[in-house]
Amino acid sequence: MHAETPLGSAGTQETDRPVLRVSGLSKRFGATQALQDVDLDIAHGEIHALIGPNGSGKSTLIKILAGYHHAAPGAAAELDGEPFGLGQVTGSRHDRLRFVHQELGLVGELSATDNLALSRGFARTALGNIRWPEMERRTTALVERFGLGIDVRRPLSTATPVQRAVVAIAAALQGWEGRRGVLVLDEPTAVLPPGEVARLFDIVREIRDSGASVLYVSHRMDEIFALADRVTVIRGGRRIATRRVDELTPRSLAELMAGEETETEHRPRPVSDGAEAVLEVRGLSAGPLHGVDFTLARGERLGITGLVGSGHEVVPYAVCGAYGGPVRGQVRVPERSPRWVDAKDAGRLGIPLVPADRAGEGVIGDFSVGENLTLPLLDRLRARAGRLHRRHESSLAEEWIRRVGVRAAGRGARITTLSGGNQQKVVVARCLAQQPPVLVLCEPTAGVDIATRLQLYDLIERQADEGMGVIVSSSDTEDLLALCTRVLVVRDGRIVREISGRDITEPALVHAMEGTE
Amino acid sequence: MTSTPTRTAEFRPSGTEVPTASGARTLGTLGRRAAAALSFRTIGAVYVWLLIIVLFSVWAPDTFPTVTTVKQVLNGNAVAGLVALSVVLPLTARVFDLSVAYTMSLTSVLTAHFLVSTGLGPTAAIALAMTAALVVGVVNGVVVVVLRVDSFIATLATGALIQSLITMVTDDSSITGVQLLAKPFADIAQLDVGGITLPVLYLLLAATAIWFLLEHTATGRRLYATGFNTDAARLQGVRTNRLRFLTLVTSALLAGFAGVVFASSVGSGSPSAGTPYLLSAYAAAFVGATQLRAGRFNAWGTVIAVLLLGTGITGLGLATSAQWAASLFTGSVLIVALVLTGGRITLPAVLRRHKAPVSAETGDVSAPDKEFS
Repeated sequence: MHAETPLGSAGTQETDRPVLRVSGLSKRFGATQALQDVDLDIAHGEIHALIGPNGSGKSTLIKILAGYHHAAPGAAAELDGEPFGLGQVTGSRHDRLRFVHQELGLVGELSATDNLALSRGFARTALGNIRWPEMERRTTALVERFGLGIDVRRPLSTATPVQRAVVAIAAALQGWEGRRGVLVLDEPTAVLPPGEVARLFDIVREIRDSGASVLYVSHRMDEIFALADRVTVIRGGRRIATRRVDELTPRSLAELMAGEETETEHRPRPVSDGAEAVLEVRGLSAGPLHGVDFTLARGERLGITGLVGSGHEVVPYAVCGAYGGPVRGQVRVPERSPRWVDAKDAGRLGIPLVPADRAGEGVIGDFSVGENLTLPLLDRLRARAGRLHRRHESSLAEEWIRRVGVRAAGRGARITTLSGGNQQKVVVARCLAQQPPVLVLCEPTAGVDIATRLQLYDLIERQADEGMGVIVSSSDTEDLLALCTRVLVVRDGRIVREISGRDITEPALVHAMEGTE
Repeated sequence: MTSTPTRTAEFRPSGTEVPTASGARTLGTLGRRAAAALSFRTIGAVYVWLLIIVLFSVWAPDTFPTVTTVKQVLNGNAVAGLVALSVVLPLTARVFDLSVAYTMSLTSVLTAHFLVSTGLGPTAAIALAMTAALVVGVVNGVVVVVLRVDSFIATLATGALIQSLITMVTDDSSITGVQLLAKPFADIAQLDVGGITLPVLYLLLAATAIWFLLEHTATGRRLYATGFNTDAARLQGVRTNRLRFLTLVTSALLAGFAGVVFASSVGSGSPSAGTPYLLSAYAAAFVGATQLRAGRFNAWGTVIAVLLLGTGITGLGLATSAQWAASLFTGSVLIVALVLTGGRITLPAVLRRHKAPVSAETGDVSAPDKEFS
């Protein structure tokens, strides 16, 4: 095995040469030019961010590096000066390019030890049985440098999200031995609660400091400013710029990404006092939530936030009657019924929910865009003999596709052919199409690119202005800052703080969530 | 669930895109639609069916291409078709009902038992047997939906229970008697019009009803939603548990009806009447899911698959005396069709890339079809 090469022992000449250099990278899918003549170079010991909206080509770029796609002829790549092929053989990749994909690629039922062994093999005795003590020692050695107290024997499904991320990183770094190379992290914070993001950043910095370079793919500008040394912006399949992060401001980076001056800040207008209530909740308990009361006014955009496990993420499901466990408390929607309804029967109130897990709970992947849109509306589309009114159905679908600006090949296109942002628009549209008095959204912009995010904000704001009450449960402070007129912060299952109007600021939210006020 | 159909002859394979009478359409769109409806991907089994008809006509020119063969294929496969249709509705909701074969045996022996041993009239005997089928369906629903046992293993278990009941009634020997061969009861399966027996009509009615339900009603759409993504469907207000429960009740009733028809057609109640139909029912349902509405279990695809398999087996019986040929044929068709369905998942992705410029965006997030080859 290679000797350890600690940071700084490398010669100056070696440090000046980029670890990874890619040039002239192009890729076409049918009529779509996914990448056009993209260059990328990553220096030794830097954290290099790659940022761009959905569909910009950054995923394609990563997949070419990982050997899933072939690059078009004319592309060149070298690692530490040695040229290597870009995905000419499916599945081949350079051994000093390591990847942690967004979904982490772990098996939740298996332990950290098993998961690491899946990629690198098991230590065996002469008889072929696995030498568990050695496996566990090996795994412990790999994960303990990151701290976090991971139990290498327990199934990963019992670990926290950041522990899982660390196991995925440790799995990717197996056999690396401190050589020069690049670790590619594809949106690793997408599944992390805000409190754990900082810990992951420490780990990424530690990896950089031990001599590796990191290519950090992200949607989020704040992460880039917190973490990266340089950033490459791609948009529409082209590289727009590569800059040192300390030469940029959030505004100038947003301009590079959006291609024009964008309003990065939405200004929430507080609702005038005395607006009638559209939703009242009292004594709501479910899972980690212990007795929550609140009232949502007409036209209000109420944020609910907290750390993961605080219970805030349960509120939307409990309010809509979609929580999968025992629920206590009562809900009242005056527009539906003047009476209080037990929270376990809240499903009868028909409050639509935009769920957090789009692929698992939101869209039906085998359905078309139109079928996804009309699923909750089928009762309205009945014609004679219980028959579905197909003509009404298609015009309803067309209308909402147009109204929320879904980019799709048509209502007949399978929903999974759409980008994450466009799928989310379909999910939101079918809720709005029910014309509910209250709309509840859970993590509405997870995995959604910046342009679509702004469109969703606009859409939600317009609905609220027309009188709909909106609940946004989010652990993404950007959503809360951009969208909400009032925010309830949940900690340990209770509402600990209510922040309104201009007082909704990032520090106020973070302190309330963490309990460091 | 299997409501009586209101229309019979409006079979339209192109599914969601039902043209409206008022909408003016150019010949071009109609042509494209027709081409799509007739393409190999949509109705491949029909072409395979035509091919084997030609093949057997050459192989056994004296016996195969005759009216007798047509009647034999239709009459001989009507019961198999009913059993195959019985598993379609559960499968759309992603529920396996493996007890249908036992339910079928149960109603066949119960009908025979009531007719022969208790002297009840045909109507009462059939009503009691169908009540037993209803009970089986409810028990299946309770075990699968209320007690949350995986349907595959749960219906295997209830199947064993039904088998023990059958043995109790029959002592493991067929029930025969003149009452089974007497007129009103024998007519259920044996009355024919121009050589086509009534069970063929039952098959057509059942297929029409299921087709109407799945294609043209909200319930059908909700069944598919339940099967494709139960959690998402439930969040959209679909009562997934109720639907799953009802599919198990309908499958038991339809399989039970097939058992009654079977008893009438062979004139006895056999304790193992249903057993040979289980594999062929699932084979037909899965081959059927590759047809017309690729990727969705559907009624007419299943009927086509039953006829394809039936024609092949009949043809092999006429062309060769090899006993092993029938199973070989069924197995091969099933594997080929399922391989083609597996392949289908990548095939439209290739086409999509030509049609939809937005498809490059799917690379992000976790779209299931992210593997461009």
